[in-house]
Amino acid sequence: MSQEKLLLLKNIRSPGYAGTLEAYRKAGGYTALKKVLDGMKPGDVVEAVKASGLRGRGGAGFPTGMKWSFMAKNTGKPSYLICNGDESEPGTFKDHLLFMKDPHQFLEGMMIGCYAVDCRHGYIYIRGESMYAIRRLQAAIDEAYKAKLLGKNILGKGFDLELTIHPGAGAYICGEETALLDSLEGKRGQPRFKPPFPAVAGYDGCPTSVNNVETLSNLPFIVNEGAKAYAALGTPNNSGTHLVSLSGHVNKPGVYEVEMGVPLRTVIQEYGGGVRSGKKLKAVIPGGVSANVLRAEEVDVPYDFDSLAKAGTMMGSSAVMVFDENTDMVEVAYRTIKFFNHESCGQCTPCREGTNWLKSMIGDFVDGAGSEQVLKRVERVAGNLLGTTLCAFGDATGGPMRAFVQKFPEEFRKRYA
Amino acid sequence: MPTFYVDDQPIEFQPGETVLQAVYRHKEIRIPHYCFHPGLKVTAQCRQCLVEIVDMGNGKGIPKLQTSCSTPAADKMKVATANEKVKEGQRLVNEFLLVNHPLDCPICDQAGECDLQDTAFAFGSGHSEMEYEKRVYGWRQVGTFLMLERNRCIHCSRCERFSRDVEGGHDFGMFLRSHELTFDTYEDHQITHKFQGNLADICPVGAITNRDWRFKKRAWKFKKTPTVCTSCSTGCNVTLEQHENRVYRLKPRENPEVNRWWMCDEGRVGFDALNDRTARLLEPHARVRGELRAARWEAAYGAIAARVKALGVTGEQVLALADTHATNEQLFLLTVLLKAAFGGGAAYFPLRRDGPQEQPTHAPPDPFLYSLIMKDKTPNSAGAKALGLLGDEDDKRLKAALAQAPKLLLVLGAPWGDSPAILGAAKQAQLIVQIAAFPGAWRAVSDVLLPGHTHAEQHGTYTNKAGRVQRIRPGLRPPQESRDPLRILQELLAALGKPQELGSAEQVFNALGAQPGAFQGLNWQAVGDLGAVLPGARA
Repeated sequence: MSQEKLLLLKNIRSPGYAGTLEAYRKAGGYTALKKVLDGMKPGDVVEAVKASGLRGRGGAGFPTGMKWSFMAKNTGKPSYLICNGDESEPGTFKDHLLFMKDPHQFLEGMMIGCYAVDCRHGYIYIRGESMYAIRRLQAAIDEAYKAKLLGKNILGKGFDLELTIHPGAGAYICGEETALLDSLEGKRGQPRFKPPFPAVAGYDGCPTSVNNVETLSNLPFIVNEGAKAYAALGTPNNSGTHLVSLSGHVNKPGVYEVEMGVPLRTVIQEYGGGVRSGKKLKAVIPGGVSANVLRAEEVDVPYDFDSLAKAGTMMGSSAVMVFDENTDMVEVAYRTIKFFNHESCGQCTPCREGTNWLKSMIGDFVDGAGSEQVLKRVERVAGNLLGTTLCAFGDATGGPMRAFVQKFPEEFRKRYA
Repeated sequence: MPTFYVDDQPIEFQPGETVLQAVYRHKEIRIPHYCFHPGLKVTAQCRQCLVEIVDMGNGKGIPKLQTSCSTPAADKMKVATANEKVKEGQRLVNEFLLVNHPLDCPICDQAGECDLQDTAFAFGSGHSEMEYEKRVYGWRQVGTFLMLERNRCIHCSRCERFSRDVEGGHDFGMFLRSHELTFDTYEDHQITHKFQGNLADICPVGAITNRDWRFKKRAWKFKKTPTVCTSCSTGCNVTLEQHENRVYRLKPRENPEVNRWWMCDEGRVGFDALNDRTARLLEPHARVRGELRAARWEAAYGAIAARVKALGVTGEQVLALADTHATNEQLFLLTVLLKAAFGGGAAYFPLRRDGPQEQPTHAPPDPFLYSLIMKDKTPNSAGAKALGLLGDEDDKRLKAALAQAPKLLLVLGAPWGDSPAILGAAKQAQLIVQIAAFPGAWRAVSDVLLPGHTHAEQHGTYTNKAGRVQRIRPGLRPPQESRDPLRILQELLAALGKPQELGSAEQVFNALGAQPGAFQGLNWQAVGDLGAVLPGARA
């Protein structure tokens, strides 16, 4: 088995690590925060993150440093950093691990991020179902307040920061950053149209950056070891390591820390121990259900943002779902569209009407009906969802549904033949 | 002013405006849209207004189609609204909208003025690939006269945004999500505020309709006349819609200076009298030995002239009473008549104290809407004041004048018809001449009744509470024997031996504008479609 490259999971993988403030400090924690408060200006942190090439781990892979540099300055309004811990993409369970096992590493990253964007009150949005994660993180925040790592005049350096956890009510769409902001403001969680982007008018109309848990957790390493050390990992433009949530028909499902650019097949075979029961691989969804499915012969692709985009899919939140030869792809497609149909917020037309129509049509095949005409129609309707909706939900639904039909047409045909 | 180009046509815009907001002023360019409404916040959720941004103004285009309602306009931007890519984008959004729409146009009141229907005709294929059961809800009444038919709803959220951001009562909300998303009132809550009709107006389909004319008339039958609401001193700009000389509805007409896009329900339903033929005076009448008898016009005029001469009426013995609905032109002509025929005489108008009538039970986000309903139910108080007519809240002066037992009473319309005290005092006059469409209680006391036109049958102007002079236009055909009060007043002048040929409302108004006084400097053309403020009332 390939060795994990341990940055984020270094503490978690060391035996007996309790994840408390004491344990984190013993492992060298909060030195990055001290370093930042000691001698770095917020702009220096942004530049360092830019130089590290860190890209957002929530799904879109947008360069974090650049996102921060877009934030409107001198507006007279407060700036906000909001951590997106909704982790609602099916197949993804890496952020939960970070919250549960090493909350202080994340908190340190969050604090550095808040310092970088001049935020004095950060919010951590966690899905309401993750009760344990919320409790665990709240305990860590309480510890940090007690140790004067949060609150007024942190470490005596004149930096004030409050952190608040906000539990969501369990809607997938609230993982979309602007829907998250609406939800945080106490409204119905629905994506907003852009522009204006949150960097200009986000939470409460103020400049806001929304960052993923894993993204922020990388910051202590980047500050401590330097941007160069981080950029040296992975491939050009896809630097660092990332946490892969490996699930499905593999022998050893779980979260693995993998250097960017390691081939997808290696992730499955070596980290995941191969397809379970020695069966043959049929398909892989490489980035959560919003990513287009890959056929078995397509998995020899470097697992990073750009290579997967080139392969016609996406790395998304690095959630790899593996399907063996016995999997019925029609059922997979149906389960997927059922999810999307259930989770569409409904405000914009193609998504509201299209997801339900697709569900009905794919449901036909599940019921042993359907026809060549309906198959074509699924492809057409799924294609019509692309690029016409207000948020990325339409693309996240239309793309995968079209991919299922285009890559496994024989399985659909088998249903009505 | 910065300019962008829509299919090569230059469009000027204010910085901060979106493409559709700027294009909306150009009625000749049609970008189909549902959720966008100039009076509501932009949400960009219906996706129908997709356009291609060929050039953002910096030489770069945007590859994906963009919703024009939410895309900020930029200087030198190039927007394509009609190329194949855009057409295809709009077509497929339209297809999605029709997936669950019942297509019950044959029984839908909105048919004929339905945005969805229009767009479907423009883009639709006439054939649907949707083979499954559609969403079905029942219909029910949600307000005093609003029907909600959610099957037809296309989820544009205009009703929700109006309730939240304009009226402020939050009557409509969004419920559930995905294809089950629905716009509805909370727990069968009935809407009771006085701006409900606007909800039916802004609904782009037949989901919210007005029960007043439900199933009564097809929308395309209506003949529409731009005019002004006469139900209070605000003078909301409206369109009077009639078929076969029967008014079916009034709808607000956009005027940013007066009512924006809205009107109140009191004004909206206040047209019943216009359809009334039973109380209408259809031909001239004269009182012969205590009894009213139909008469020819010439005979009536002759009798008036003879009686006036016999009585030897002079200025202080004449009293003119004008109706709340008398136009500026009628009031002006009335004063001209008093002066020319009698050398003077007082003219009274029921002037009332004014102020907003309704206080919202909640703090509205924008107080504008509630400023539309005024206590003064007179469309032309400001005009009467500007023309020097007398009057006060308690009618003390009028009562005192009537107590002097004037010989001649000239009554225009049926003012104070609900006041037995005034009518009783008026009875003392030797001769009462009334020019009215609806004589009302005056019928019992008037000696000569001359049938006039209503405000919906004539040209004219009213002056609203802010001193804005606005035109009314004839939307209905008057009964055959009745005459325009302006003509009657001029014929009276002639009958009394002081002919003054002023002519039409336009000519009378221009004559008024040429005289020193509050109206000086105004003319018919300047008033136009959106009105003009009295020179003296300008801030």
